[in-house]
Amino acid sequence: MADTSAGQTAQAGGPSKQDLIPDVKHVIAVSSGKGGVGKSTVAANLAVALALSGARVGLMDADIYGPNIPMMMGVPKAPEQQDGKIKPAESHGVKIISMGFFVPEETAVVWRGPMIHTAIQQFFRDVLWGELDYLLLDLPPGTGDAQLTISQLVPLSGAITVTTPQEVALHDVRKGMMMFQKVNVPLLGIIENMSYFVCGHCGERTEIFSTGGGERAAEKLGIPFLGRIPIDPAIRVGGDTGRPIVVANTASPQAAAFREIAAKLAAQFTEKGGGDQPSSPIESMLKKLKRS
Amino acid sequence: MTTTVLEPKDMNWLEKGVLGIDWSDGHKGVYPVRYLRLHCPCAACTDEWTGELRLKADDIPMFVAVNDIEPVGRYALKFTFSDGHDTGLFSYTFLRRYCQCDTCVPVKPQEPKSRRLL
Ligand SMILES: Nc1ncnc2c1ncn2[C@@H]1O[C@H](COP(=O)(O)OP(=O)(O)O)[C@@H](O)[C@H]1O
Ligand SMILES: [Mg+2]
Ligand SMILES: [Zn+2]
Ligand SMILES: [Zn+2]
Ligand SMILES: [Zn+2]
Repeated sequence: MADTSAGQTAQAGGPSKQDLIPDVKHVIAVSSGKGGVGKSTVAANLAVALALSGARVGLMDADIYGPNIPMMMGVPKAPEQQDGKIKPAESHGVKIISMGFFVPEETAVVWRGPMIHTAIQQFFRDVLWGELDYLLLDLPPGTGDAQLTISQLVPLSGAITVTTPQEVALHDVRKGMMMFQKVNVPLLGIIENMSYFVCGHCGERTEIFSTGGGERAAEKLGIPFLGRIPIDPAIRVGGDTGRPIVVANTASPQAAAFREIAAKLAAQFTEKGGGDQPSSPIESMLKKLKRS
Repeated sequence: MTTTVLEPKDMNWLEKGVLGIDWSDGHKGVYPVRYLRLHCPCAACTDEWTGELRLKADDIPMFVAVNDIEPVGRYALKFTFSDGHDTGLFSYTFLRRYCQCDTCVPVKPQEPKSRRLL
């Protein structure tokens, strides 16, 4: 039998991976199979809706290919340095960091795997997030290096997928969800964006595309369906002017839809007694092992 | 949530050199450290295509310890073994499948020996 020793393990190493963001309770990935489905719009509005409900929220724009969170959130100024760390920008009560702050828009940056890894690692390690209830990640579309890096760097509390109702998107959704499943990230649910159109005059609801795709996908994959966001030009305007619809027009059905989804999301965590801090159980188990 | 996530609920040293992992599905997993080292899933130790072990038992000392264990995201553990090897990510699924408890492996195959002791 092996003569092992658990006892040799106590020497202090560098901070373990799970300690990158010890004060963040829940890290939630917002993903999509392809671009343009409204992933960033959803991430921004959910972040603000959660903040409005009293939670401490951060939003990391990890979409290195098209970082548009600063525009959508109307970030007044870029982050500052403080003791060799980066102080996140803040807007609508949400702490924000984005690749857009560091990479000038004009330059077409070619991102290779290791660069993506380093950049995202810095976003966790070198940003003064402080204590947060939720850190939302706006991921690049699809399944690539960013997703892989993140699933290895931090214990994600879960992943949300944004889709449009068209069937074409569903294949990609399934692929993305399977990737998360493979790395044990709980699938929090699917959000169907640009679902239907509400007439600004009479409030009548018109279905735009073939509807219900998101809901069917959720059913097939056995994961929660979180809700549908109507299509509304005001959402685009809000995005372009830095005022997400949940603050720009609180009375709109769109804002209500976002608030409802945010509440459903929060409930998934509080149902479990609020103690679901994925980093702590495994960390403390390993600490105990090392002591014994 | 509808999906139950497979993850460790508790971990203990069952005896010297034998790691115990209590899984979220209720199973009490048993993992001799040398067994883990011998079945390291990294590309250097296991052929990626055939799944065949490239390792020769003789390469692995009889007395191999775990010097460190780190979590990887929420799906795997990274072991640093006393022979310096640390490139294997042992996913929870992998570990659960290779449980060496008396129920999962009632008849234990002869443990491959090595001339190297340490
Ligand atoms: N529900 C909606 N109604 C109207 N326009 C929307 C809606 N959701 C997103 N948009 C607009 O569609 C475009 C793409 O959205 P965006 O959030 O940038 O997508 P992604 O991040 O998935 O690439 C943006 O101009 C955005 O303002
Ligand atoms: Mg985007
Ligand atoms: Zn009308
Ligand atoms: Zn190996
Ligand atoms: Zn067993």
